Amino acid sequence: LPAGLSQWFPALEVLDVSGTGLAELGAELLALPRLHTLLAKNNRLGGPGSLPKGLGQAPLGRSLRVLNLSGNRFAEVPPALLGLRGLQSLSLGGNRLHGIPPDIQELRSLEFLYLGGNFITSIPPELANLPSLSYLVLCDNKIQSIPPQLAQLHSLRSLSLHNNLLTYLPREILNLVHLEELSLRGNPLVVRFVRDLTYNPPSLQELAGRTVKTRNVPYAPSDLPENLVRYLSLASNCPNPKCGGVYFDSCVRQIKFVDFCGKYRLPLMHYLCSPECSSPCSSASQSSTSQSESDSEDEASVAARRMQKVLLG
Amino acid sequence: EQQPVQTETWKARSLEELIRILHRIFAEDKVSVEEVQELMESYESNPEEWLQYAKFDQYRYTRNLVDNGNGKFNLMILCWGEGHGSSIHDHTDSHCFMKILQGNLKETLFEWPEKKGNGEMTKKSERVLRENRCAYINDSIGLHRVENISHTEPAVSLHLYSPPFDSCNTFDQRTGHKHKVKMTFYSQFGERTVCVSMRQHPP
Repeated sequence: LPAGLSQWFPALEVLDVSGTGLAELGAELLALPRLHTLLAKNNRLGGPGSLPKGLGQAPLGRSLRVLNLSGNRFAEVPPALLGLRGLQSLSLGGNRLHGIPPDIQELRSLEFLYLGGNFITSIPPELANLPSLSYLVLCDNKIQSIPPQLAQLHSLRSLSLHNNLLTYLPREILNLVHLEELSLRGNPLVVRFVRDLTYNPPSLQELAGRTVKTRNVPYAPSDLPENLVRYLSLASNCPNPKCGGVYFDSCVRQIKFVDFCGKYRLPLMHYLCSPECSSPCSSASQSSTSQSESDSEDEASVAARRMQKVLLG
Repeated sequence: EQQPVQTETWKARSLEELIRILHRIFAEDKVSVEEVQELMESYESNPEEWLQYAKFDQYRYTRNLVDNGNGKFNLMILCWGEGHGSSIHDHTDSHCFMKILQGNLKETLFEWPEKKGNGEMTKKSERVLRENRCAYINDSIGLHRVENISHTEPAVSLHLYSPPFDSCNTFDQRTGHKHKVKMTFYSQFGERTVCVSMRQHPP
């Protein structure tokens, strides 16, 4: 790009340099204080120095809202762009990404994130810390599982997961109340009922932790070593409402059908504190084995009906 | 390239002319599929002529009505963002023509599932349709899924359905189960259609 760019066109708002063979976007962009949309798809960007240093602090860093870097050669999300606190839309589709950095959570204003067509194998839970994210595209990657924390993306309206390596989904996905689109095709989702009980008995630390939490044993940070205080804060609640128990590391993984009126079956992963517990998310067509399942069916069936609408369109 | 001797070969030189000729063709009692397909393919896409109908949605593909063919057909423009795709669907006993105006669309054909179907649906074939190509399908040919598989380019397609229909079945690829859905327009004649429930959107 010409060095005098910001002097000649100081009022520039939209710049499209797609398909120009650029191997780097240089410092000449940094002084463009009105530039809100930068389209640089189908270029040769991806090497070190593809994006200018100090991007987050420059005038451009404050003005940029839309950045399209799809169809380039990025093997990692360039750290330089993580400082773009005002960025609303980011596309890195069709690159060579193998992962997503946890620092993606720095993009506080992000609403639209397109990462389809890469080689991503896993999703960091930090992705869930993007409060405004409404459109998340992860299709055509190599993702094997979705972290349950993703259900904290309360603004999510559309989630694209097709053509990955998913065998199940976390049951928390039912909590995404604004979700209107969910694509799942081209995943090896488990179709038949699979009960996969892999249970490692809890450690003494785990048992002690559970007792402290469930009996509400009072403690102050001065009572315990710092690592144990942190450990106690990581307790997860058993989804069985009749149980009210908690677990830390030891849990039973169960793949259970959530049967949406026989039309669409989604395998959802349930984490339970012991094999005796069962999740409230039971299928209407399966015979209930315990009273607890039917008691909490209302809440679960509301969530299930909502998900049914999303999947069946 | 030698032009073979033909009775009637239409060449639409603009979108307006295409619509005019379509009205003339569909005014007759009998309509030839080949004639319509050739006509649609003959129109060389000119974005200036259809940009007003090409309204994209961030979350999913859109259906934008262009002409309602005096009740004989519906002509609409579909806008597909990167990665947008349809479900597997049928065509409610109608003829369906699909012409690519911009970008590329992948069409995957499926066999109809067995009556008591409870297994994965059978893929018949797949192809990528390039700009200006026109594909044709009806229920006797099979079912299809249409997708923009590009992660960098949006796609725009021109669809003709005759007779017009406003509902169809969508199919779950893993089980063959079907579900009837109502189809809605994102815009009509270039005007955004408001107050449409987001829950009831096309396949």
